[in-house]
Amino acid sequence: MHLTAITRRGALGLAGAALLAGCGGTGAEPKHGGTLRAAFAGGGAAETLDPHRVNLFADAARAKAMYDKLADLGGDMAAVPRLAESWEGNADLTVWTVRLREAVFHDGAPLTAADVLYSYRRITDPEETFRAGQDLAPIDLDASRAVDDRTVEFVLRHPLAEFPASLAAFGAYIVPEGADDFTAPVGTGPFTFAAFEPGRSFAADRFADHWDGPALLDRLEIVVADEESARVNALLGGQVDYAHDLSATTARANEGDDAITLLSSPGSNMLGFAMKTDRAPFDDPRVRQAMFLLCDREALLESVLSGRGLVGNDLFGLGFEHYADAIPQRERDVEAAKALLAEAGVPGLSVVLDTAEVGAGLPEAARIFAEQLREGGVQVELNVRNADTYWSEILTEGQIASYRSGAMPIASHLSQRLLTDSPTNLTAWRDADFDDRYLLLQSTADETDRQALYDELQQRLHDEGGYLVWGFADWIVGTAAHVRGVEPAPANTLDWARFDKVWTE
Amino acid sequence: MKRRIETAVIVTLLAVPLALALLGPLVPFAGGERARPFDPEAPWPGTDHLGASVLDGVLDGGRGIVLTAVAATALAYAAGFPVGLAAASTRRRWLDELLMRPFDLLLALPSLLLVLILASIAPPTAWTLVLVTASVNLPDIARITRAAALDAAHRPAVEAMWLQGEHPWRIATVHTARSILPTVAADAGVRLVGACYLVAAASFFGVAGPEANDWAVMVDANRGGIFLSPWGVVLPAALLVALSVGLNLLFDRLLSRRDTP
Amino acid sequence: MIAYAARRAGLGAIQVAAVAALAFALVELLPGDAAVALAGDRPDPAVIERIRERMSLDEPAPARLADWIGGLATGDLGTSLVSGRPVSAIIADALQPTLILAGVTLVLLLPMSIGLGVAAARRRGRWPDRLITTTSVGLYAVPEFALAVLLVSVFAIGLDWLPPTAVGAGSLLDEPLVLVLPVLVLLARPICSIARLVRAGMIEALDAEYTAHARRAGVPERTVVWAHALPNALAPAAAQIARTADWLLGGVIVVESVFVVPGLGTALVDAVNARDLPVVQGIAVVFGVTTVLVNLAADLVAFRLAPRLEVAS
Repeated sequence: MHLTAITRRGALGLAGAALLAGCGGTGAEPKHGGTLRAAFAGGGAAETLDPHRVNLFADAARAKAMYDKLADLGGDMAAVPRLAESWEGNADLTVWTVRLREAVFHDGAPLTAADVLYSYRRITDPEETFRAGQDLAPIDLDASRAVDDRTVEFVLRHPLAEFPASLAAFGAYIVPEGADDFTAPVGTGPFTFAAFEPGRSFAADRFADHWDGPALLDRLEIVVADEESARVNALLGGQVDYAHDLSATTARANEGDDAITLLSSPGSNMLGFAMKTDRAPFDDPRVRQAMFLLCDREALLESVLSGRGLVGNDLFGLGFEHYADAIPQRERDVEAAKALLAEAGVPGLSVVLDTAEVGAGLPEAARIFAEQLREGGVQVELNVRNADTYWSEILTEGQIASYRSGAMPIASHLSQRLLTDSPTNLTAWRDADFDDRYLLLQSTADETDRQALYDELQQRLHDEGGYLVWGFADWIVGTAAHVRGVEPAPANTLDWARFDKVWTE
Repeated sequence: MKRRIETAVIVTLLAVPLALALLGPLVPFAGGERARPFDPEAPWPGTDHLGASVLDGVLDGGRGIVLTAVAATALAYAAGFPVGLAAASTRRRWLDELLMRPFDLLLALPSLLLVLILASIAPPTAWTLVLVTASVNLPDIARITRAAALDAAHRPAVEAMWLQGEHPWRIATVHTARSILPTVAADAGVRLVGACYLVAAASFFGVAGPEANDWAVMVDANRGGIFLSPWGVVLPAALLVALSVGLNLLFDRLLSRRDTP
Repeated sequence: MIAYAARRAGLGAIQVAAVAALAFALVELLPGDAAVALAGDRPDPAVIERIRERMSLDEPAPARLADWIGGLATGDLGTSLVSGRPVSAIIADALQPTLILAGVTLVLLLPMSIGLGVAAARRRGRWPDRLITTTSVGLYAVPEFALAVLLVSVFAIGLDWLPPTAVGAGSLLDEPLVLVLPVLVLLARPICSIARLVRAGMIEALDAEYTAHARRAGVPERTVVWAHALPNALAPAAAQIARTADWLLGGVIVVESVFVVPGLGTALVDAVNARDLPVVQGIAVVFGVTTVLVNLAADLVAFRLAPRLEVAS
């Protein structure tokens, strides 16, 4: 009963976002001019303008203002062409020809295939540590070439049906050939660099010759405020026009306030727990299933997210392209879980649950999940780890750990976390057959056949995988009432932190 | 009459938080099922950041904070007071230096850095909290004790005792310690309050244990929902303030009674 | 007195060196290193190893400490592991807002806390004393973040009199209004602790024989209080005032983060979180030098106020 109510609200949430998105585009007539000041969490002196070195939301927002990628991700994680005008794979999906748009850099130089190849070589430099390096690793850049000034031929090391998503990787921005100093960045993006103080502020002006039409704003300022309460206060006090990454509590407290508008993008932030499938007690699939069954997802959603999110079904990517939504929703069943634990020979199971302050609601969810496990007779000890080194520690240590993930294509989730040689295989899920099926998926050009493989892999993960996914938090941003044209979007997608279509009344 | 009103105020201020701290954990379960966090429609006093009743936290959260604050202050005084007193009483310069210089070193290390790093190194438990709080206070206590005792130890009366051949340690423990008591007691009262404060601040830095829910932690954890349901912050904060003011009034009262027999 | 000051200065240099070494040791004790912290939620072991090499973290700790001390001797604080910027530049950027905040607070703090302490002591046991002591103790128990939440919601959001944060402010001095709330929050606790110590010291001094003697000699009460009793009462408080200056320089991290002031406290937290050792040590040295100087000044002031203390030895 309770469940249907929640899922119905979830569905409504999705529809609501679509509706809002529609309004944003067709409402009042866009106006030119003005300055918008946006507040993001930052990283102090570690902040960078090097678009390939981006790490933080503030870095990504600045890079997006000044640079473009060949493609970006839509709200459903499907690749949307940006600097690429079109792309086409060969029959076995190992060679992709990308046609570039007519675009110019801020210094007037035209975008060429050489710029693209230079940027990708810099990103994949084995001496370097750029985030997108891993996404672009399948490209054999020595074999790839510029067919002409506006056509690039990418030769891959293995077939990749979802190659266009790689072009949209986090930080895969196109810089001018030879660029290595980013104190005064030059890109093709909608804003040109004006000023930057790490950990404090950034300013950029409208670029009149942007290929997608010039931005509506004259000037964009990005200021840093690490505390969520400070971002809200600055927005309420009129010090900023846009506040990124707000909490569900803030959204509830300001619901009736006409001075600010809150935009929620559902399904953006996956929340769950990662179990190590290679060691006791979670090397037994029955114990993992018992965990799935002991989890009261609605209670977590209500207590941790104030109901502002969607219930998870132990699968990543709810609402995204290729998600297996035919799999029935898993529900709590304490008796079945106890039976499974008894069958596995661990009726008095005792586990250590790792958690840390590495994301909103993570320690809270761990605390409530521990209570739920105790209701099933499982003894739980909570272990709070150091937040700065948490991710690295839980990659190899522990049994079960709090986990979250931002939005990315489902294929990226599979390749980065669930293959034998995946670099961040947190659940230690190493299965040769699973690897083979994934390779087959990436070699399958036919959409229907490929979807069947997506469904098959997700069914296996749902049955006995190591990720317990209990929910998806809304991604919430706030704007002042006079700001128009901000679209709700999951973090790191095309419409997220996108200011070239924004205007102020 | 005036004095009677004052006594009533002190008793009230202390009785409410202390009774809650002592008896609260014995009350089995007050709040009921978890609900939505900061729910303004939940029965008074509303729900906390995890959707549990604020009443649960108020009942369970007193014992921890009182024990932590008292333990940390006692520990810091047990170590700092004798050292400061000895340093002030000794007539040997090198002993004074030997006793006080290590504290200067600790003092020169910013307390903020100390809290921040100790919090990251040690696992977050109640004992970590006691140790961190005590070590932040230790150098101050030693210095303040020494400064106050230096003054007392060199009064003509003490000089006279010296000349009469009174044993130095007797002078220090009996005469000096007694005469600096007002200054030290004023300091101890504030420091006990400061310990409550530090526990709250440490919670802001993430030193609180994973399932800790004392009054100081509540103030930090529930501040995000203050506009939805203020009681999660207001109640524990009011209890902490009542406890602090009551304790200090009590200290003052005891001292003034001793001074004017 | 000059010999005393010189000896203390020499000692101070040793203290600063010890603080730097201690900071190094403490950060070494922290779990993980800069490479792990930088990798964040994508802890690819191969990438972490590459970052480690780029940062020269694969060298043994003593070698890195020796390197750093060698640089320090020539006035070079090194470069940040994470951003590659000189540590001195990072500190210079962060120092200005912190100095402004701490300076304004200190300038207001001293007259206010001494005035309140003296006023309470002179009316001991009567209502002004009760009011001052009770309010100050109550205020002392309220953590900065709670006070900040309260002040911001009333004066910035509710009444709209003052800006809620200092976000995007170029220099704090250009927009003095943004200073009001942070300074109020910073003042609240030190006023309480210092006023209490001054009060206790004053009560003792006013009851002492020498003040009674001065009164008997016909010295006006005003002179007795301010010229005879106060200097003696301030001696124990001087150490506390020095401690407050150190605490303020620490930027009171809470105030900096709630009001978005990019000062030294914020820089320190960022550096510890990123395990950016050269920056942590650089800031530790700045703190160490300041603390040593301030404590030295406090001791000298205490010495001037009550010279009998040191003369006795």
